[in-house]
Amino acid sequence: MKKMTFSLLVSSVLLLAGTYVNAQDASTILKKMDNVMFSSKDMVGKQKVVLISKNGNKETRESTIKQKGTEKRLMRFTSPASQAGISVLSLPNDVMYLYLPAFGKERRIASSAKNQKFAGTDFSYDDMESKSYSNKYTPKLLKIETNVFVIELTPKASSDYSKLIIYINKVNFYPELIEYYDKGGKKVKEAKYIFKKVGNYWSATEIQMTDLKTNHKTKMQMSEVKYDTGLTDDEFSLRKLKD
Amino acid sequence: MRRFAESIIKLKWLIIIVVVGLTAFFAYQARTLKIDADILGSLPDTDSVSILYKKMGTQFGGNDIGMVILESDNIFTKKVLSHIHQITDSIKLIDGVSTVTSLTNIIDIKNSEWGIEIGNLVDEYNLPDTKQKLDSLRSYVFSKEMYKGSIVSEDGTATLIMFTLLPDAHKEMVARDVKQKVQSIDLPEKLYFAGMPNMVNDLTDIIIGDMIWLIPIAFIVIILVLLLSFRSVKGVVLPLVVAGIAVIWTVGIISWLGYEFNLISSIIPVILLAIGSAYSIHVINRINQSIENDPKQVLIKAITYIALPVFLAALTTAVGFVSFIFGSYLTMIREFGMFTAIGVSISLLLSLTFVPAIIAVFSFNKKTPKINNERINKASHEKKSILTKYLLKPIVNLLIKHPKYTFAFWLVVIVLGIWGAFLIKTNSNITEYFKKDNPTRVSENIMQKKFGGSMPVFVSIKGDMQSPEVLKVMYETEVYMKKFKDITFAQSIADLVAEMNDVMGEGKKIPDERAKIEQLWFLLDGQDIMSQLVNEDLDEGIIQSKFASINSSATEEFEEYMNIFTKENSTENCKIEVTGLPHIYNRLNSNIIRSQATSLLLAVCLVLLIVGFMFKSFKKGLYATIPIIATIIFLFGFMGFTGIPLDIVTVLVGSIALGIGIDYSIHVITHFNYALKEKGDVNQAIEDTILGSGNAVIINVLSVSAGFLVLLFSQIVILQNFGLLVSISMISSGFGALTLLPAVLIFVNRKKKITSK
Repeated sequence: MKKMTFSLLVSSVLLLAGTYVNAQDASTILKKMDNVMFSSKDMVGKQKVVLISKNGNKETRESTIKQKGTEKRLMRFTSPASQAGISVLSLPNDVMYLYLPAFGKERRIASSAKNQKFAGTDFSYDDMESKSYSNKYTPKLLKIETNVFVIELTPKASSDYSKLIIYINKVNFYPELIEYYDKGGKKVKEAKYIFKKVGNYWSATEIQMTDLKTNHKTKMQMSEVKYDTGLTDDEFSLRKLKD
Repeated sequence: MRRFAESIIKLKWLIIIVVVGLTAFFAYQARTLKIDADILGSLPDTDSVSILYKKMGTQFGGNDIGMVILESDNIFTKKVLSHIHQITDSIKLIDGVSTVTSLTNIIDIKNSEWGIEIGNLVDEYNLPDTKQKLDSLRSYVFSKEMYKGSIVSEDGTATLIMFTLLPDAHKEMVARDVKQKVQSIDLPEKLYFAGMPNMVNDLTDIIIGDMIWLIPIAFIVIILVLLLSFRSVKGVVLPLVVAGIAVIWTVGIISWLGYEFNLISSIIPVILLAIGSAYSIHVINRINQSIENDPKQVLIKAITYIALPVFLAALTTAVGFVSFIFGSYLTMIREFGMFTAIGVSISLLLSLTFVPAIIAVFSFNKKTPKINNERINKASHEKKSILTKYLLKPIVNLLIKHPKYTFAFWLVVIVLGIWGAFLIKTNSNITEYFKKDNPTRVSENIMQKKFGGSMPVFVSIKGDMQSPEVLKVMYETEVYMKKFKDITFAQSIADLVAEMNDVMGEGKKIPDERAKIEQLWFLLDGQDIMSQLVNEDLDEGIIQSKFASINSSATEEFEEYMNIFTKENSTENCKIEVTGLPHIYNRLNSNIIRSQATSLLLAVCLVLLIVGFMFKSFKKGLYATIPIIATIIFLFGFMGFTGIPLDIVTVLVGSIALGIGIDYSIHVITHFNYALKEKGDVNQAIEDTILGSGNAVIINVLSVSAGFLVLLFSQIVILQNFGLLVSISMISSGFGALTLLPAVLIFVNRKKKITSK
């Protein structure tokens, strides 16, 4: 009897210790992932966005991207021809400037509607934000698989999602798959990541977001990515938007 | 005929086995019968307005928009807003729902000097809670054309929560889930469910409800009628079994051929019970009346005698139903006519084969078949005496003494009927086809009252959707449309482009350069609303609009108003076509009158031909149709004076009454010919006819009328009216066959006598 109580005690201590370790692990793992994803000072590259409808119809847009830190970004479309020259400058505090060359002028757009689709893609403004996941979500380690940590993220602030489940590569801490769940606990979207090392950083060469309700897909492909080229704040000015 | 009768008795077991086998087969088929409550599906593929309407509804998703209407004293309170939020959130999670739009999640675009601000109208996670915040929300909503009258009613007492469906979603199921889920929240506000998916769901419930109630009631009514007329188990069971089998076969055939039960065809079982049992009643009656001793001879003689009259009775009835399958606008009416005619034919076939086969099997084994008959004869004799004494005898006396009084009476009826016929209205407004408390009708009324109606109008513009010229035409069309008094709302891609042009600071108009339009498109791409306004290839776009009036002069005026514009502005590169529920109603209205004329004419000609052939005399055929034509005139007068309108279903009554009602005249003329030959005296022949056949006619009238009166229990107003009108026509044509027709026969034969003398 005595022995049994003791073993019960040991196992519960171990259990408690286990959860404690897991909690630690989950936030550490997530922080590591944030570091891998958002640690570069700046980045330049080319982006190709392929929209694939349910019937397989494809529509392609290309643009160049410059990014400094996590909050300044300049996108300039190069194709299709009708949209070439359209530029979007994103600045902190949800302020954007949009430049349409046919009009020869820019407009300031302040958007607080985060759950809206970004320019016809399956990414919402929320998904596109380059903000650290640790700030936005509370993590919980679900399980450890051969190659990945499976972590559940619960939004800290109000969100359209009830949770995200994220599969993080054990070796390089890059996300391989993110699943998005609605408030009814149903998986509504999933993003698959393909990545490779560019210089000192791991970089996603393709993110494929699938809207599971509509079966519409968006592929975002990055190429010619360079990190830490020393971009100045001047690159993200209104004057540069029009160039 | 005798050979036919003999072979039926010879093959009795084969017949029974085949019937049982086929019944099993069709019952198996009927198992998978589906209900199609989608009225739009019934619009014809032969009319350009209807084709376009169906295409617009599916291609641009208009048919897939459902609405929850929330009604309260004031929408702008913290509590009501939180309830709207609750509903919005719960609908969002339902399988098959694509998007949900409501006051609590709608996008708001503010345009100001320094730029545009895109946000939500209200923050769903932080709903306005102070009076000040709520008041400012209220005045903001009413200041914007985009919200006022479209998402919140102009009096601020009702709001819409709209949902769209995924393309492959099961419309009814999603609508059902939405209704259940929203109702289970148990909110204090009044909730209504509108839009096509909800309507189809409600209609399916109505159809199922009608079938569950009406079919058993019809069975009970027929059992009562049979009990009263035969007072024997055999007399009740056999016709009932035959009617049941005919229903199973017909329903099985409908399902087997890939058709579905619709709003109208779902009453086919009731109708077949009402009219289909009559043929087996005739056959059994005839067998019972035989005085032979050998049961085999009884059967052969009875069948030989009854086969042709029953065949002709069924044929004329089928003709009545078939007569409108050529002229009707809605495919559901055509299907109804076709399958009822098939059902009638099946009833006939069974009465002439299965009924004698069963009787042969059972009665040949019995030793005392006569007892039954005596009882039946006695029973019908008692009944006869009451009817004879108080109804038939006085009729005979009056007819023989004063045939002119009868003419005078019918002349008054006909004159009144013609007068009343001029008062008849038509009604093609689908919502009025339902009872006042029907959910579909109630929510349609709310839509009408609070949100400018829900009758969709679509303008299709075919052309390059990014060309300034095409978009300008679209914009102008919309402006022109909105000038019409009953158009309260319209939206199109041209609107959005103009709106975005304004955002870029160049005013609310279509830009002159294509490049500008293409770049504005960048802002619109991927918005959910785009798929409701332009197609994927960008060579067709629509103006979505609503029409507020159900008045037929308004719908006609609107069609004409739009025609003028289309004629002037439609070009090769920018083709404008207009369609909508108002246009469909106009088609339905003109079609109701046209198909009434053609179907009646067709039915009269065919029946005249059949009856003329039967009597081998065109004149006698003509006499036979006199009571029924008088009945149809009476029917129109009745409709005119009572205000029962001609609609997609009541328009059928004339032909159906003709098809069934002619049987009574045939009975009377057949009997009269026989009696005249035997007695040689007109007066005696008339007396013999009315006293002899009067009972059969009256019982038949009562049983068919009772069967159709079952439809009074339907939840669909047009079916109630239909049942009532057919019953009245049956009574009138029976009465005509027993009064007007004999008067005509007396008059003609007396005249003949005089001329021959």
